[in-house]
Amino acid sequence: MSQPFRPAHRWTVFIRSCALLLCGALANAAVAADAPAPTAVVEKLHGTLLTMMKDAATLGYEGRVNMVAPVLDGTFDFETIGRVVTGRYWKDFIADTRDRFVATFARLSAATYADNFDGYAGETFETLSEEVKKGAALVKTRIVKRDGKPVSLNYVLNQRDGEWRIVNVIADGVSDLALKRSEYGAVIAKEGIDALIAKLNAKIASYAAAKT
Amino acid sequence: MSRFASKPGNSTMSRAPHIEITRGLLALGCIALLSGCASSSATRDPSDPWEPMNRPFYNFNDAIDRNFFTPIAKGYVKVTPQPVRSGVTKFFDNVGYLNVIANDLLQGKVGDFASDTGRFVVNSTVGIGGLFDPATGLGMPAHDEDFGQTLGKWGAGEGRYMVLPLMGPNSLRDLPGIGTSMALNPLTYLNPVVTIPLGAINAINARANLLEASNIRDQAALDPYTFVREAYRQQREFKIYDGNPPTDDFDDYIDQGEAESAADDAAVLKVY
Repeated sequence: MSQPFRPAHRWTVFIRSCALLLCGALANAAVAADAPAPTAVVEKLHGTLLTMMKDAATLGYEGRVNMVAPVLDGTFDFETIGRVVTGRYWKDFIADTRDRFVATFARLSAATYADNFDGYAGETFETLSEEVKKGAALVKTRIVKRDGKPVSLNYVLNQRDGEWRIVNVIADGVSDLALKRSEYGAVIAKEGIDALIAKLNAKIASYAAAKT
Repeated sequence: MSRFASKPGNSTMSRAPHIEITRGLLALGCIALLSGCASSSATRDPSDPWEPMNRPFYNFNDAIDRNFFTPIAKGYVKVTPQPVRSGVTKFFDNVGYLNVIANDLLQGKVGDFASDTGRFVVNSTVGIGGLFDPATGLGMPAHDEDFGQTLGKWGAGEGRYMVLPLMGPNSLRDLPGIGTSMALNPLTYLNPVVTIPLGAINAINARANLLEASNIRDQAALDPYTFVREAYRQQREFKIYDGNPPTDDFDDYIDQGEAESAADDAAVLKVY
């Protein structure tokens, strides 16, 4: 589970490189096929979370943020997430505002993971199923705890430039994006996007402050 | 929970908090009226028309929760070992299980009905009044059913969202379920001398089980009221489908490009 994605064997890479050189059109398809499957993307995240939980104390909050942030950047599609959580307001934002919002949101995600996964009590992640349709995938997993009911954790993934990225996490039936969209929409309507970004930054600061 | 919280005359509790609460209620009522007029339709969520009334009740519940229930629940966690709390949770789950069995039947889940009946019998006897759960190991896992889910299964819409004083989030669809779960709980028919302390233990234990969830809410929510409302709605929807909602349209959002209206992107937000 902690090593969910094995890199391709060297000679496979070589042959594939030849194919790339030979035919551009086919090469594009090969790259897409070579990208990790939706399940592998989710398991890569889970592997990191598990390591983070086990080494929580030695890593400390900052260490956990630094560990998870690059993994989130490689497994989540924060651009699509930013568009969905800001809903009808997104189209009115200028590029700079969009970038600022997406960057802040990504930092908040890392802070939230670092805060929530701060210890280990024998939990394991289990992948239950994968369903792929057009450019979207649904990966169902669960966290099994030593004592207590398992928590269902489902991921919706988006295919972007041939790579699978997570766009939504549904924990025990609660869609993270839907929750954020409701909250964010209300804040944007009342106070505007800059106020929302300020609030998210305040959240990040409060996570950090609580751990030091 | 309501039974416990509304019980006055506790020797450790002075009269002052009650006067305070009454005064608070009046004040909150006023705020409700005022904010009902003040908030413009642009900022209000059309799916929650009773928000002007719900919000003060939410704040009222939250104040009581923070000042009474949370400290008590934390103290309870400190003084009781995990196996004891687990036994208490199992006991109350079991004693309320007739409600699950009845709703299995109402939803036409014949297999679950048989297994849940067996579960209730086994846990009530071999499991010493429900303190232990040998039934799960015997292939009779716990199910989560109530009358609100049954109404959902029968096709009833969610109905308006409401926050009940002391009881928390609810909806018009889930409201009748309070009655059925009480009517089908054997504890309801015992002498109050027994039911009141048991109700208190149940309330404290149930609150203790939610400490982690409320922690997440406190840390993650920008607006806890909205956060709780959305989480409640989605979790209820998820339960109606027994954790397996239909997944036909999880790819719908892909082709939509930029979201134009609130109705867009619905697919990706769904509760699969």
